[in-house]
Amino acid sequence: MKRTLSLFCLLGISAWIAVADVLAQSPDCSCFIQGIVRDEHSGQPIVGATLVLVKSNQGIFTDAKGRYTFTKLCPGTYEIECRIVGYQARRQTVDLTDEHVENFSLAEDEIHLKDVEIIAQRTDSPITQPLTMLTGSDLAQTRGRSLGESLQSITGITTLQTGSSIAKPVIHGMHSNRVLIMNNGVRQEGQQWGSEHAPEIDPFVATRLSVVKGAAGVRYGSDAIGGVILVEPEELPIDKPLSGEVNAAGFSNGRQGAGSATLQGSIKGLDGFGWRAQGTLKRGGNIRTPKYYLDNTGISERNYSLATGYRRGGFGAEVFYSHFATKIGIFSGSHIGSVTDLINVIKSGEPLIKPDFSYAINRPYQQVKHNLLKGEIHYDFPDGNRLKWVSALQYDNRLEYDLHASRNDSLAALNRPELSFRLTTLTNEILWDHKPLAQKFTGQVGVSTLYQYNVMNGRPLIPNFDQWNVGVFGIERLVHNGWELEAGLRYDYRRLTTYRIIGREIKTDIFNFHNASGTLGAGRNLNDRWSVRLNMGTAWRAPNVSELFSNGVHHGAAAYEEGDATLIPEKALNGIGSVRYATEKLTIEVGGYYNYIRDYIYLKPQAEPVLTVRGAFPYFKYTQADATFKGIDMNVDWKLNSHISWGSKLTYLRVDDVRNDSYLVNIPANRWENQLKSTWQEVGAWRQMSVSLTNRWVGEQRRVPPVSDFTPPPAGYSLWNVQWNGTWPLAEKRHLELTFTVDNLFDTAYRDYLNRFRYYADEMGRNVSLRARYVFGK
Amino acid sequence: MMSKKRIPMLLVGVAILLVQCKSASDVEPDDENELITTVRLEFSPTNVFTGSQTFTYRDVDGDGGNPPTKFDTISLVANTEYVMKVIVLDESKNPAVDITKEVQENADEHLFVFTSAPASLLTYTYNDKDVRNLPIGLSGTAKTGSPGTGTLRVQLRHQPPISGKIVKDGTPGPGSDDVNLNFNLKVK
Repeated sequence: MKRTLSLFCLLGISAWIAVADVLAQSPDCSCFIQGIVRDEHSGQPIVGATLVLVKSNQGIFTDAKGRYTFTKLCPGTYEIECRIVGYQARRQTVDLTDEHVENFSLAEDEIHLKDVEIIAQRTDSPITQPLTMLTGSDLAQTRGRSLGESLQSITGITTLQTGSSIAKPVIHGMHSNRVLIMNNGVRQEGQQWGSEHAPEIDPFVATRLSVVKGAAGVRYGSDAIGGVILVEPEELPIDKPLSGEVNAAGFSNGRQGAGSATLQGSIKGLDGFGWRAQGTLKRGGNIRTPKYYLDNTGISERNYSLATGYRRGGFGAEVFYSHFATKIGIFSGSHIGSVTDLINVIKSGEPLIKPDFSYAINRPYQQVKHNLLKGEIHYDFPDGNRLKWVSALQYDNRLEYDLHASRNDSLAALNRPELSFRLTTLTNEILWDHKPLAQKFTGQVGVSTLYQYNVMNGRPLIPNFDQWNVGVFGIERLVHNGWELEAGLRYDYRRLTTYRIIGREIKTDIFNFHNASGTLGAGRNLNDRWSVRLNMGTAWRAPNVSELFSNGVHHGAAAYEEGDATLIPEKALNGIGSVRYATEKLTIEVGGYYNYIRDYIYLKPQAEPVLTVRGAFPYFKYTQADATFKGIDMNVDWKLNSHISWGSKLTYLRVDDVRNDSYLVNIPANRWENQLKSTWQEVGAWRQMSVSLTNRWVGEQRRVPPVSDFTPPPAGYSLWNVQWNGTWPLAEKRHLELTFTVDNLFDTAYRDYLNRFRYYADEMGRNVSLRARYVFGK
Repeated sequence: MMSKKRIPMLLVGVAILLVQCKSASDVEPDDENELITTVRLEFSPTNVFTGSQTFTYRDVDGDGGNPPTKFDTISLVANTEYVMKVIVLDESKNPAVDITKEVQENADEHLFVFTSAPASLLTYTYNDKDVRNLPIGLSGTAKTGSPGTGTLRVQLRHQPPISGKIVKDGTPGPGSDDVNLNFNLKVK
């Protein structure tokens, strides 16, 4: 008799465990569990994985064929923890006290629980750093939102917004070029430096969104100072039947709709092939605050992706292409010409123009297209070595249209963008995973290169540039006696060439940056309840062209910003530790971090304003200081009884400029989220039905440097949200999941310090949404 | 779905794309469509046969860079009526772009505002109207009061339609500043 348990891993692996013929001998304690651990990607057995029986702390390793066996077990419920080096750990409960007890009298050689096969999906992230993942139902409940907003439910993650339609993820207070996004294994290269430039990624491409918190410079290179966001689709369905998913989401605010469909399968008669096609459409109109509509805040998005792959034996190849295209209206009330304009808007407290609802997107708007073509080849040698080559080409085209077209009518008729950026990036990475040594050491050595060039036109902002980057790294991991240890080193070299016109001549400047990064981490399970994890890591970031050369008024911020070509790279030293206590009823995870950034680049207010034809503007210059980012992320999940649970998430952050004994601007305020949730396994036709009530409290940011802003940070706020979620199984391999949500239940008017439009208007009011997810074939 | 044959084709396509792309070293000069470098105020007394006076703000390289090369103090005679004309130029281009002409052509979305501090120093009356009978301010009458010193703020309010709706209503409220200059004003 066969029984399949399907489970989803919160930490990083998805595993399917087939428990066959659950047999055990009672009370003789001569049962055993055995199985094999495989890599889902290659299908190859994983050598040297640790399996621990949690209660007894009995641990074993998989052999050269990936097999393991636990012997002399008594009947009972066992929790097996599988720690696969280079993958994320996962616990799985195996019930040895089920209905097959009568079979215990069977012959000795049949008395076992055989083949608990664990198929693990590799997560290419440091194992001793906190990794939080959104998958399955949790991810389904964020569908229709942008990437930045989707991650907001994770402690330590906030957003930097420009109105309601542009959201950038913020990890531990850091964003833009201090957070790296890995889109399907490729460094996302858009125009990240801009605070109003959202990631050019369709979250519907992913079935897993993960966040690695803390500096991860060794594995990922430049920019991974605050953390890394991994956007990953699931494995291609090699030789699997046709399956698919349709997502639809409707939102009352902005009358926004989003739909996405995925279809995947293999090719009959062609062994080893798999393919996937996916597309997304999104359209929304003017956003409504509790009191008024915001003019020109619509959005339109059309994305698609295609993937195909081949795998046979140890060999595998894959091609992935994605196209992202969006047009985002920018709230017209945010256009200002001078400081006087801004002061007037702040004084009046609300926008001058309060339109009706409309889907039209007029000037000012952004139009962004991002194309990614990725190829990947890997080969798993029979001896356990593994070689992988990933090559990717990205083309990012960003056009920004200001409110005012040219005054010259014939030029205005051309409707040209006032800013145009074209960024082309070619990245290559070769990774060698060496075979496990002494069944304990595993490791990875890699070389990654990047070449990119940027061509820009329009009003002066940043110069044209091209740059080369080469990085070499190695990471070794050891799992021994319940300890997991990890150490790594990396060296990066970057050469940046900028091209500017100075007095009708082209001036070329060459910058050379280089840096060595290191990481050291340890994890330990003290007993079945307590586990600790500690990681020290360094990362770096070369100054970007806007920090080196920007020179002009930042419209919207009403500030004159000037770059500094003598800036040197930022270096981060990050310590991050977490303690986890987990029982059946109560899980508490407390993480603390300390991130010291030497030569932190920021805009420093200057004493004298800059006089322009539009009056005097406050003058800011890119300067370097030393900053500390200290914080605590806390997660509590307490099952009060079989139905009701209480969840609490605390995000605390304190940032200091230690060189000048001051604070830094634009640091997210502290927040605390509490949720009461009731869950039922089965209600009529529904499965896993839940109702929740959530409160999110966000404090007021009081730690701001004096005289650095036109208005003090907005007051704190508290928002309520209710949600209903349920899954309706339609057939054995078909189900429908529905989610009904009301965000900002009481239509609270508030402003957030990290929204760049906080000067101009309130945040979004009540938003009622319905999401449907139809899955078939899996 | 991509077959094995298509992959190389695609790669060749991409290679062509790369070759066709402009390289970063082909820099095109900045093109700021709204740049104003020069604001000139021309005061001609209405009933005295003395010549007109011109006061200028000029910052040829635009925002930042070198500071303005010229920012005159307006010096006028007390209790006198002047015809006042405004000339706006973009002198960063060669030849200079006459923005006055463009403001005139799009008069229905522009408004000059002149504010003196203290208010008694100078009073301004519009002499021109756009198609919707709203003031423009390219030409007007300035009347000085008793002697004193202060400032004259010159604003060019750019008030184009928002989402297709006309916003210019003759008041400074709508739109944003294209010019916002505080000239020092001396009335003798």
